[in-house]
Amino acid sequence: MIWALAYLPVLAGLGVWSMGGSRMRVGAVGAVGALATVMLAVMAGGESGRASWSEALVLQAALPPLAQAVAITVPAILLAITIFAASHEEVPGLPRLVGLMLVFTGGMELVVIAADLVTLLIGWEIVGACSWALIGHKWRSQAPGLSANFAFVLTRAGDLGLFLAVMATFAATGSASYDALGALQGGPLVLAAFGILLAAVSKAGQVPFAPWLFRAMDGPTSVSALLHSATMVAAGAYILARLQPQLSAAPGFGETAMAVGLGTAILGGVVALRQTHAKKLLAGSTSAQMGLMIATVGAGYPGVAVLHLIVHAATKAALFCAAGIRHRVTGSFDLREMGLARTVPFAAALTAIAALSLASVPPLSGGWTKEEMIKAIEHAGVFWTACAILAGGLSAAYATYFAVAVAAFGTGETRDGRTLPGEMGGLALLSGATLLMSALWLPAVHEAAASWVGADLPQGSRFWLIASLTAVALGVLAGLHVARSGQEAPAREWLGLPALYQHGSIRPFHALAQAAARFDDGVIDVIPSGAAALAGILSRTLSRADDDIIDGLASGTAERATKGTGRMWRGAIGAVVAGTSALASIGAGLGERLSDLIPGGSGRLAGTAGADLRRLQTGLAHHYYAFIMAGFALAVALLILGG
Amino acid sequence: MLTFAILIPLLAAGTLAVAPLGETVSRWTATGAAALSLLALVVVWISGGEGFRAVAEVPWVPELGIAWRVGVDGMSLALALMSALLFVVATAWPIDLHNARAYYAWMAFLAGVSIGLFVTLDLIVFYVFFDLSLVGMYFLIGRWGHGEAQHAALKFFVYTLAGSLLILIGIIVLALNMPTLTFDMRAMIDSPPLAAAGLVPGLVFLAFVIGFGIKTPIFPFHTWLPPAHVNAPGPASAILAGVLLKMGTYGLIRIPLQMMPETFARWALPLGIVGVISILWGSIVAFAQDNMKRRIAYTSVNHMGYTVLGIAVAGSALGSEAARQLALTGAVVEMIAHGLITGALFLIAGAVWQRTADYHLPNFGGLAGPAPRLTGAATLAAFASLGLPGLAGFVAELHIFLGAFAVYPWLAAIGLLGILITAALFLRMLRQMFFGDLPKERADFTDLAGVEVALLTALLALIVLIGVWPVWLLGLIDAGLLIPVSGAGG
Repeated sequence: MIWALAYLPVLAGLGVWSMGGSRMRVGAVGAVGALATVMLAVMAGGESGRASWSEALVLQAALPPLAQAVAITVPAILLAITIFAASHEEVPGLPRLVGLMLVFTGGMELVVIAADLVTLLIGWEIVGACSWALIGHKWRSQAPGLSANFAFVLTRAGDLGLFLAVMATFAATGSASYDALGALQGGPLVLAAFGILLAAVSKAGQVPFAPWLFRAMDGPTSVSALLHSATMVAAGAYILARLQPQLSAAPGFGETAMAVGLGTAILGGVVALRQTHAKKLLAGSTSAQMGLMIATVGAGYPGVAVLHLIVHAATKAALFCAAGIRHRVTGSFDLREMGLARTVPFAAALTAIAALSLASVPPLSGGWTKEEMIKAIEHAGVFWTACAILAGGLSAAYATYFAVAVAAFGTGETRDGRTLPGEMGGLALLSGATLLMSALWLPAVHEAAASWVGADLPQGSRFWLIASLTAVALGVLAGLHVARSGQEAPAREWLGLPALYQHGSIRPFHALAQAAARFDDGVIDVIPSGAAALAGILSRTLSRADDDIIDGLASGTAERATKGTGRMWRGAIGAVVAGTSALASIGAGLGERLSDLIPGGSGRLAGTAGADLRRLQTGLAHHYYAFIMAGFALAVALLILGG
Repeated sequence: MLTFAILIPLLAAGTLAVAPLGETVSRWTATGAAALSLLALVVVWISGGEGFRAVAEVPWVPELGIAWRVGVDGMSLALALMSALLFVVATAWPIDLHNARAYYAWMAFLAGVSIGLFVTLDLIVFYVFFDLSLVGMYFLIGRWGHGEAQHAALKFFVYTLAGSLLILIGIIVLALNMPTLTFDMRAMIDSPPLAAAGLVPGLVFLAFVIGFGIKTPIFPFHTWLPPAHVNAPGPASAILAGVLLKMGTYGLIRIPLQMMPETFARWALPLGIVGVISILWGSIVAFAQDNMKRRIAYTSVNHMGYTVLGIAVAGSALGSEAARQLALTGAVVEMIAHGLITGALFLIAGAVWQRTADYHLPNFGGLAGPAPRLTGAATLAAFASLGLPGLAGFVAELHIFLGAFAVYPWLAAIGLLGILITAALFLRMLRQMFFGDLPKERADFTDLAGVEVALLTALLALIVLIGVWPVWLLGLIDAGLLIPVSGAGG
């Protein structure tokens, strides 16, 4: 049953896509598929599965509590987003969109249930391919296609790390299971740990891979909502949490994870705060939040990271839905224009809940999980804690900015002021979940939750808690200020990283490829021409020697004979070409044999060949001859040596 | 049974050459012959067995040890099955032709000799089929190609014929060094000649590597391939890439690896390096091509590079037995997968040429609108080619890399870059062809028709099947039996 978690959504997705239909039907079928997957995930807890490809390669799946929590979260988020998408997105292509989102979820579930690196790799790359198709959903425009390719290639560059990890684990142990990964030591362990880390940070949109998340904004809003919450980026944070027990033994693993995670958390926060585009603000924030989770894993608390992953999934999906609704209402993603409060007040309220949760304002759920992460990072040292608190302050700032800009009152044009039930239902489910999870502040609830996913809850000091809450308060104030200031859009996206890719990697590679192609045509192709020319010289020399000798013997008759032989030779070569030089080499030309044996029918066959041959004669017959001569010379030499 | 698989298409070719049949009848005669061949091979497959099976032998030139010997092991049976399937599909593929009867005659002829090459157990017969396959392809490209077809065909022919002469020399030297003169492959595999170190085995090995390397093709002997593909008709390209290239890698496994294991082990590392260079060079050069068919053609160099890397690892006599088996399994699966995938891609290219007479990628765009079925097929085939899990190419490349890393970790790590570049180049091609604005002159582009859809679906379904559930194929290949035991010590 555990494998069904992966293939059920895939099959359901392909079904939705191929059947098509109205908004209602697509939405309903998609939602049923998502719901069925949720139920499967609830029931499959603790199961495991094996599928053998061969003696050496066995795919394995397992669903320990930590994985089960995520396995339930992913389709649950999809359920809400499907309801949202069915009413929000354009009708043309809707079945494809909803269907592919289901397939995408199936790939993610495969990542979640994987219990060996090959299975993980399979799910990992399927997730990447689905994100390609979803980002490029609006294929009639130029930009989405380019962005989809950029995202796929950049994340696949990180995937090579996972390939390396699989290879290192397999070479060292003869197996790719997670158990084998845990048994690694020394060089292979380092290679595997850092390979997986590389793959995870590329998927999770960490520095320096972060720019693909911005490009992913060319996809429909529903795709962003799913991709930034429960799938794709979440895969990166999840897999580090899942494999933390196996990987943490590698020297430098925790520190590197914290450095990358907190670095991205701070830089992503800055990037988000400087945005004027609603979705890009959220994209920067996703990188930052994933960074905090990865740092928490690095500090040794994978369970805490997963709790935040679950809360963040609901929160972030809600915010993307809000951004989508706002875009429909105002026709713009620009944060400086009007908010939702006047036209769709209910949506504005739901948005505010999610945004304040992202800002980690108590008593909302995001506040609790973030404080737990800060406590976890405290165990790693003062420097890391200070970084995490700074990152927390930044997230409070951009989330407040978003809340004010998207949800608050404003004056301006309303393009489409309807309230669509599907949109509102999806948003309400997600914001409601965020609100419901705020019960995590209660000790009874969070202890139950922690023991369910098997998380150790860290102890923290009061000093850092006060510092952290102060940072949040300051962040909220800063966010309010930014929202009022009406800042300009930043001149460079993601601190200039995309430009760096463009100039440092993409363009040089294009130039390299062009140069290689010219070299291939101009230089490497000389090998056959050169050989042909050489053989040509050889054959001319031989034939001149031939002429000279025969001329020396007799003049008049010999000259006629030479001409005759020349003609005959050309014919013989034709036969060799049409038949085989093999038969010729063991004693007879195929053409002659054929025509000798079966004069009637085969004559016609040979005639066809001969006719074809005549059409193709280009006067280069002496080249074949030269080759054959050179070959035989070599053969004779070898036979003498070998005999 | 195997003899039937060879003779049926050859008889069909003879019939088509003589009898005045119409175009449709010719097409279905050739297709039917290939299908019967396929059926015969399936019967052999179902009968099962280990090692060489369905063996038959008829003396031909006894004093020289030459005989009509047929028989298959897992590798050659898998390759023959794939070839037969590809011939069925390529022959049935609808295409506008002048002189259709002759075209189908050559197609059936090529089917017979190609299947014959994979199922024969006699080196001389192998060599004859090797050369006859050149002849068939030469005419298919030269007469029914477009552009500079004649020049391309001639280049193909002369280049690979030169390679085949080297192979002939090698074969003769091998046979002369057997205790009793014979060209029986099984005898040579069981007691490899030329076991001693020295100049001659090295030279013979080099002759085989260059000879088969040209056909494969590996860097730097690949320059005949792009012009041959570009100017060939779509189905002929599919056969060239899907079946004829495999003759090179099949030969590499069958002759140098199995018959000269000790010499092979000595030269495995250089061969592996050549494989990695092919992987990178093929993909980088492919990236720069604006001609759709040239781009696909260069990816063949890339994919055959993976295969050669796998073969080199298998024959290295280093690392664990399990790792070498994985690499060889991967190499054989790569041959099958590449045959199906690139076959499908070239048929798609043929469909595009049929409709537009153009391969220049910048002239396209937005075809997803008028041709969703073509887009879907091309996307699936392209993702298979770039090694997406769940599709056949991944299974092959995973095996090759897992095996290679255990033996030559650096080569495997460098070779990995190939899968990144192929991803970039295929996605770029998909975007240029199918997404964005539809140029005005392409507005009346028609989607794939019924027969085309059915044929492509057959190939793509198999690609998905191998990707999701490869057990049956891995079991059939049974690479453990292919790696010579005596090589393990060296």
